[in-house]
Order: sequence, then C-alpha cells, then structure tokens
Amino acid sequence: MVKRFFEWVISPMGRIAVVIAGMFVFSLAAFGIYQSQQNPKPQPIQFPHNLHVGFGIQCLYCHPGASKGPSAGLPTISKCWGCHQQIAKTQTSPKLKPMLDAMTNGTNFVWVPVAKVPEFVHFNHRPHIAAGLNCENCHGDMSKVEIAENPQVMNMGWCLNCHRERAGDDEAKLTKLTDCGTCHY
Amino acid sequence: MTVDLNKLHAVGAIAEEAEGKWGMVIDMDLCTGCQACVAACAMENNIPYVEEVDAGYGRSMHWIRTERFWEGEYPEVKMSAYQPMLCQQCGKAPCEPVCPAFATVHSQAEQINLQVYNRCVGTRYCANNCPYQVRSFNWRDYQDSRVRPEITILANQFNPDVTVRRRGVMEKCTFCIQRIHKAQDKAKSEGREVEDGEFTTACAQACPANAITFGRIDHPESLVAQLARSPRAAHHLEELGTLPRVTYLKEG
Repeated sequence: MVKRFFEWVISPMGRIAVVIAGMFVFSLAAFGIYQSQQNPKPQPIQFPHNLHVGFGIQCLYCHPGASKGPSAGLPTISKCWGCHQQIAKTQTSPKLKPMLDAMTNGTNFVWVPVAKVPEFVHFNHRPHIAAGLNCENCHGDMSKVEIAENPQVMNMGWCLNCHRERAGDDEAKLTKLTDCGTCHY
Repeated sequence: MTVDLNKLHAVGAIAEEAEGKWGMVIDMDLCTGCQACVAACAMENNIPYVEEVDAGYGRSMHWIRTERFWEGEYPEVKMSAYQPMLCQQCGKAPCEPVCPAFATVHSQAEQINLQVYNRCVGTRYCANNCPYQVRSFNWRDYQDSRVRPEITILANQFNPDVTVRRRGVMEKCTFCIQRIHKAQDKAKSEGREVEDGEFTTACAQACPANAITFGRIDHPESLVAQLARSPRAAHHLEELGTLPRVTYLKEG
C-alpha cells in the first residue's frame, strides 16, 4: 500500500499533484495570516485619529493612563461628549450618529484594542514614557492614519532590540531590561 | 547561619549569588497552621482549585502549603510545628539545569527563580528534580470557562497582574514578582529606592501571626536580614547545597 503510494508520488502526475497540494496548503496559510493580520480593525465608530491630532489634541488627553500606569486606557463616551456636545455638527453628521445614539441610550463604545500584547506579557506604559519615549515611537504617527493601526508587529524581538539598544554599555540596566521576569510572570 | 561555599563546590559566580536579593523568614514558633497564607497566595496568583478526582491523583495545586509534623503514637499525638513550604528561590536551584526549554531560569535582576509560562512545554522535569516539591503542574485547563463552566463567575476575581496559566504548564511561587515590580515602579516614579516593608508578599500580608517576613536579604539593616541572622535560623534541606532564600526559625 505504502509502496504503491510512493510509486504514484514519483510518477509525473503524482509530482504535479504534490505540487498542487503544496500550493493549496501554502495559499490557505497565507490567506489565514492575511485574515488575522487585517489592518485597520473595524471600530464601533470610525474615529479619525489624524483629524483629532490635527486639531492639536494631545495623546494623553484621551489616553491619560500612559504616563501613570500600565494601561494607557481607551476613552469612554463621556470624554468624547465633553467636546462634541459643544459642536453643532454632532447633531447632524451621519458619521457621528453612533455616538449620538450611544449617548441617548446610555451605552458606551466597545473599542477594539489595536496595540495588544499576549496575556503572558506584562507591559507597563509608565516606565517607557518616563524613559523619554514618545507615543509615535511604538504606535506610529497618528496624524497620518485615519483608523488606528499598528505600524509594526509587536513581538519579543522588537521589544528586545530597543531594550538592548537603550541599555547600551550599562550592565545593570541590560540585565534588568533583558531579564525574563521583567515582562513574563 | 553561614554556609561554607567551598564544601558545596559553589564558588565564583555562585558564591556571589549565595546571598541573593529578596528573602523570606518564616517563624515556625509563630505559625499556627491556619492556612491563611495558602488562601491569600491562591487569590493573589490566580491559582486554580483542583477538584476531588484530580486531587486524588496528587495533582492539587498550591504555591505554598502548610506541612504538619507530629510526635508520638496515635492516641497521644502532639502537634509540634507547622512548616509553611513554598519555593525556596534557591541560589543554586536543582530545577533550573534540567529544563530542556529554558523555561525555568534564574532572574539575574531579581535573583529569584522564574517560570516563563509561554516557554514551558510541560516536561515536568523541574518538578521531579525539586527537593522541596513545591512546583505544581496544570493537568487541565482549570481556569478556562469553556472547559469548566463553574469558573465563569470566579474569573471576575482574577488578578490582572498575573498570567492565567493554561494546561500543560508548570508553575510555582514567584515571591509575588508582580508586587516587586509594582513597588519598584512606584519607587522609581518617585525617584527613590524601594524601602524595607513598603510592600510584602501575599502570604506575609495575610499571616495573622506575623510568622512570615519578606524583604531585601542583602540589606543588613532590613527586618528580614536581621531575623535571618538569628541563632534559631535554619534552611530547609541545607545539606543539598541549594542555597535557599527562605529561612526558617525553629524553637530555640
């Protein structure tokens, strides 16, 4: 049985079949990766970052946790409403309808987090901001994108590259910044 | 208690690590065996409860347990001491060299033994090589509400600072490294060093008899270092040369 299958594989038709099967598996995997990496992710309201940053609103106004603790935080609808209730267009614009509906119904936006790390990684924003990093170093220039998206894959190699670079020749700092227990616990 | 490092063949780099950074002192005279530390540890570190059938196989999961000792024959038994047993965070840990995946590594920054859950493949070599039997293995997805629907409401009390472990992963006491990081982060944001007694582990915090003390063992003036110099101090299975960071105070 195995021998007959092997003979069929080395025959011309068998080889073609193997190549086609290989291509099929490859394209399936590529499609799967494309599906899971789709950027930008659909949000409850198509929030234009470039417009808001263009008005001169600071990142920390809506994501104030970044300078204080682990999570930068995503704004609740009351934060949006603080400015938008003073804007006449809020009542008429079809693009802002989801916010108006949510406000009248008392519901909230369920934002889709864009920059996420796996649950076994414990990332803290505060020390990164304290070390002098700007938001756009990791999250990209938000004045250029409409819907928030990740400019790079946030994996461990990417973290460690920056950690090694910034530690430089400081041995104690390098030990701390490349220790497994700094992020994984 | 001083250890002759030459007898342990632990010289050079190991000798520098012999003292360690974080340490714990457990006073066995004060311990009443109330198990408050066990409960506090389970809550702090998202340790699952294991049901009857699995516990019958010896798969119950605890990062700290209270060992009982008694003297005499059955009717006239005398409970002599309780010994809370947790990961000793050995300076020369037997669990570390046997891991084929380098999932249990020695933290150079904090001088404790780490278990990196995402690297662990579940060979259980480390648990078999641990002389203190303090490692526990996730035999099932105990924390997955799809597997155990009754856990759904309990998921609300998970500690967000600690990873919820999956099936097939070894886990053990981390000296509450999430609290260490939190205290260090807070101290750094205020531009100072972490003070002695500023934070403590969950077991030490919960102990009603103050039998557990945690702190910097390498700072001679800290409370834990002073207690560790007591003549009552002893290390568990010291003859194995594991250089444990947990010191037990026995009746003296």
